[in-house]
Amino acid sequence: MKRDLRDLIGRYGVVFALLGLFLSAALFVAGFLGLGNLTTILLHVSVNAILALGMTFVIVTGGIDLSVGSLVGFAGVLTAAALTSAGLLGTLGVGGATLLAVLVGVGTGAAVGAANGAVTAYGRIAPFVVTLATMTIARGAARLVTGGVPIGFPAEADAAFAQKSAALNALHAIGGGRIPVPGLERGFPVPALIMLALVATGAFVLTRTRFGRYIYAIGGNEEAARLSGVPVQAVKLGAYAISGGCAGLAAILLVGQLKSGGPDAGLLYELNAIAAAVIGGASLLGGVGTAWGALVGALLIGVLNNGLDLLGVQSFWQEIAKGAIILFAVTFDVWTKRGHRHA
Amino acid sequence: MQTDRKRRTETQGALHWRVSLLALSAVTKRYPGVTALDAVDLAIAAGEVHAVVGENGAGKSTLLNLIAGADRPDAGEIRWDGVPVTFASPRDALRRGITVIYQELALVPTLGADANIFLGMERTRHGLLDGATMRAAAAKALGELGLHIDPALPVSRLSVAQRQLVELARALVRDARLVALDEPTATLTAHEVAHLAARIDWLTTQGIAVVFVSHRLEEVRRLASRITVLRDGRRVWTGATIDVDEPALIRHMVGRDVAYVRHPAGRIPDPAPVLAVRGLTRAPAFHDVSFSLRPGEIVGVAGLVGAGRSEMARTLAGIDLWAAGDVTLAGAPYRPRTPRDAIARGVAYLPEDRQRDGLVLRFKVRENVTLPVLRRFVRGGRIQHVEEVRAARVATTAVDLRPAPPDVERPTTALSGGNQQKVVIAKWLLTDARVIVFDEPTRGVDVGAKVELHRQIRSLADLGKAVLLISSELPELLALADRVLVMRAGRIAGELSGDAFTAERVMALAVEVP
Repeated sequence: MKRDLRDLIGRYGVVFALLGLFLSAALFVAGFLGLGNLTTILLHVSVNAILALGMTFVIVTGGIDLSVGSLVGFAGVLTAAALTSAGLLGTLGVGGATLLAVLVGVGTGAAVGAANGAVTAYGRIAPFVVTLATMTIARGAARLVTGGVPIGFPAEADAAFAQKSAALNALHAIGGGRIPVPGLERGFPVPALIMLALVATGAFVLTRTRFGRYIYAIGGNEEAARLSGVPVQAVKLGAYAISGGCAGLAAILLVGQLKSGGPDAGLLYELNAIAAAVIGGASLLGGVGTAWGALVGALLIGVLNNGLDLLGVQSFWQEIAKGAIILFAVTFDVWTKRGHRHA
Repeated sequence: MQTDRKRRTETQGALHWRVSLLALSAVTKRYPGVTALDAVDLAIAAGEVHAVVGENGAGKSTLLNLIAGADRPDAGEIRWDGVPVTFASPRDALRRGITVIYQELALVPTLGADANIFLGMERTRHGLLDGATMRAAAAKALGELGLHIDPALPVSRLSVAQRQLVELARALVRDARLVALDEPTATLTAHEVAHLAARIDWLTTQGIAVVFVSHRLEEVRRLASRITVLRDGRRVWTGATIDVDEPALIRHMVGRDVAYVRHPAGRIPDPAPVLAVRGLTRAPAFHDVSFSLRPGEIVGVAGLVGAGRSEMARTLAGIDLWAAGDVTLAGAPYRPRTPRDAIARGVAYLPEDRQRDGLVLRFKVRENVTLPVLRRFVRGGRIQHVEEVRAARVATTAVDLRPAPPDVERPTTALSGGNQQKVVIAKWLLTDARVIVFDEPTRGVDVGAKVELHRQIRSLADLGKAVLLISSELPELLALADRVLVMRAGRIAGELSGDAFTAERVMALAVEVP
């Protein structure tokens, strides 16, 4: 009986924590409960939630992906470059170039992610080291491509000014757009919608497909999975490609939102993504973690930041609070699992 | 006079008891599902070399753990120097003068021999490590053991035999009074064994007692002055080496009270083999292994730990590659590169350590059972839950997973060892394997579950599967196998069937008796 309760708390503890935080913010923080503010929170967490979703795939296999933050920067500048390339705009038109830019963003992310996975799985090198290297390389490449300066809105003297700004505006419809919803003054943010759709898809893949089952099997017991005929290396590669693809998508949303791709975008985002995944219940030992958990983890961080923002608390304190929550989440996780040892 | 003498003889046991350096009396150790040691007595005097022999699983390692302080007995008494003691930890036993040297040597490979020898008892001067003193003391101890090396050399650069001497040197530096060695010669060459034997002799002249665990009877007889034989957790014989010959030792090791019911075969094996193995080699684990396996037949593989049985089976399962050899499966050439290949061709391997290699413990029973065949239940990219559950139910019912009807949504961790093994069998039942290789299928399960698993294995053969059964438990092979291959030191030492298939013959082939 006691174990059942512990199980329940263990499984939904983060959800309870989110609800508790939400309720206290609703009670004590003026301006928190407004629909406008709540949709803003969703918008703000969307990039981190998408990265945390991809990260969850990797963490469940027992790996880690440190490269996603740099990848957001690298895929972002390539997206922005494609979007503002006079040549591409000339041949493909605004619509075509925008579509291509989106493909470039996601494709770059997925390709670099797949490379991470290939080296990790086939080269049998620790993912921490592999993705640490990729993190450095991608950041350097982003700065190299841009010369260290953001690629963004064209100067008015630019010959292709109209086309370039039209393309940036087209992408802004994705990254900064809002869908009108009755009762919601400013509408529902498109990135939040994309985030929700992605998390739902991720949850489906993890729980209902063979690939998803294999991911849990590898994280749970890689040797048993291999002996059962699971193509361990290919599945790992897939997990890292998904994480990279999510980073590419996050990059597109950021570029669209800001109408510019900066080489330093996404700095330290990998740590926020890991934090969200872990708070959401993913275990760095592998085998445990869910897509919805990643979302809940990102929301928890988002609600906390928003509440403290509204209270006028310094951002330094917000960082300290976030760290405390991570520590608490992991300690809590260990506590709920302890009950299983003598089962 | 005569009564006096008689009394002396009568009290000799008690006398010996009193002078024993280490004495275990009626020591019992139980683990979940198995009594590892059952009221075992063991007395060891200073300066003697005492060998503990027995089959795999006889309780030798458990005995060693009790001596090392790594584990504590559930009942019985341990006396050290005549005083009852409880070793709280390995550190406690060490402090009292007991050093245990395991087969897996406990050295830090990146550190020097000197640093390893003084690990945990470093000499200091003014609070700083006194390297010079330690190096000199290490060199002296190593020299006494006949190892003349630079003591600062990292242990990773030393051979296995040299590392063993480093561990012995550690015992010397600690002023150990008793040294216990676990299978000390298993990985040594003949020359190295001779050197070790000489050093062990020298230790005894220093008044140090030596206990060693082995199943190499020839070396046991060469090194030990007294021998204790364990079988199924009981002490069955103790005596002087000169009082016993090898055949007698073997009889003590295998003669037993319990035998399993032999499950009669439900069918005659097909005449044509499904698996034919010729000259299979993967040095240094095994060489030139040849045999064939027919549908409906159970072929046992006997041998001591380290004989190369699992290594051989792993290549057939595609886990490791063989270097040379020729294998045909159902008439076609067979050379799996991955477990996936092997499964696709219908070869299933049930690993020895099911928790480590056979199951995802976090998974539910259903998820474990369907893992190799998940593809079957996928439609439109989605696992069809209902079909998956149905298949898992069929398979777990077939292996009689208890409690019936099987609950396939239970977490695998909640099952007993015997039931976990049934889950593994159910999993491979679903793959429609033609050849099933069992590696120690009943290790760690209780007797009742063993009998049940035996029934399952026999019924697999009756379904027309070809079964290769690796087991270190002779009664299990006697109860199940139609014939048995005996491996010794990586080679097939012989094949026994019919009247020749007896425990004594198998053991004799396994330990090499002329």
